[in-house]
Amino acid sequence: MLTAPIWLHNTTISSINRSQNGVQTCEINELQPIIATTTEATTKTNLEEIRVNMAEMKAEKKPVTLVTSVGSCVAICLYDAVNMCGGLAHIMLPKSAIAPHESLPGKFADTAVPSLANAIRKLCKNEGRLSAKIAGGANMFPNINALNIGAKNVEAVKEALAENKIRLIAEDVGGSHGRRISFDVKTGNVTVKVFNGATAKL
Amino acid sequence: MSEQLEKNNNINYLKTDFKPPSYSALIDEIELGILLELGSIGAGHAATSLSEVLQQQVTINIPRLHTIPPHELPRYYEKHEEPTTAVYMQIANNDCDILLAFDAVEAKKIAAIMTMAPSAEELDPTMEESAIQELGNILIGSFLTAISDFTGIQLIPTTPQRVIDTFDSIIDNFIVKQSIMSDNALIFDAQFKRSNENANSILILFLSPQLQKQLVQKSKEQMGI
Repeated sequence: MLTAPIWLHNTTISSINRSQNGVQTCEINELQPIIATTTEATTKTNLEEIRVNMAEMKAEKKPVTLVTSVGSCVAICLYDAVNMCGGLAHIMLPKSAIAPHESLPGKFADTAVPSLANAIRKLCKNEGRLSAKIAGGANMFPNINALNIGAKNVEAVKEALAENKIRLIAEDVGGSHGRRISFDVKTGNVTVKVFNGATAKL
Repeated sequence: MSEQLEKNNNINYLKTDFKPPSYSALIDEIELGILLELGSIGAGHAATSLSEVLQQQVTINIPRLHTIPPHELPRYYEKHEEPTTAVYMQIANNDCDILLAFDAVEAKKIAAIMTMAPSAEELDPTMEESAIQELGNILIGSFLTAISDFTGIQLIPTTPQRVIDTFDSIIDNFIVKQSIMSDNALIFDAQFKRSNENANSILILFLSPQLQKQLVQKSKEQMGI
């Protein structure tokens, strides 16, 4: 809620700059896609936000924003650029072998990646190529935590992505701060907001 | 038994479709009641200490015991991206986490009262950090001492550590740790409120399986059950 007005402000400024540049330098043919992306960006703030809870996975074809907050967990955003659909998984632990019992697939890196990929492929009815962006894996209490589960999570996610032949194109991992991740399913843009106000676009 | 369980409103039972087999599901009503009562004793003492430190009236919500899968906890609190100041301590020999979470603005106000700063805005950040850590020490200390006195189990906390971040990313860490131990954890929480403020301060205790057993066993001995 707090981020919405700031975001709107940023995107409107960037859209003005962009379109001005476009008018000055680009040909009309090239201008069109720029306009298309900026209008998408401005309407993006009105998109429905769907929260992905811990250990959950959500795949979407509709233009929505998937939102989640992670500390030592990792958010995996898989995106199919051809069909413009994608999904987000909020994993908690590296390997499903750790768990005492059989559990939700969305909890573990090694089970979440294949099942989310399958869900997206089923949704798009296509064996499309997926690309991945990941964020999270922080160590919130660096002075006390001997077991740095965040780093292990990131490592396991990368392994699982490689195993499932999904290309990792961007990451924002590590550190000792939480992150709020919003994933625009239509464009594949991932915005990472840190508590102290810094935002990064993946 | 499940009908019987739902009658006790202070115990937050599993409300999702996903019901994993787990040790804490096997704990019976009496044992849950014992743990809740122990927590309530501790929380009462903690609230009294908070009131004494601030020289203000402090109210306390009815403490709760959650037997839900740990990852359901953020959805229960619904605080998601709220700025939070938290103090984290561990029970030294038990691998049990205790978290004292304040609303970030409320933490500043409390620290200002403790350090006698003229206002929350003029408070030095390092003073705030040490004041909040000290408050954590006092509250969690009195919480554990009360339980320790009742059961005779020695509960020594580690040094406090403070963190400021969003609520979800702070508790995330503890939930992950609980999930390693079990799919269905026992989590105790109590909420405090200064009488003229709206912000709730939450004390969360993530009970480890060993400590659950010890506490229940010793309390039963004490009460002669």
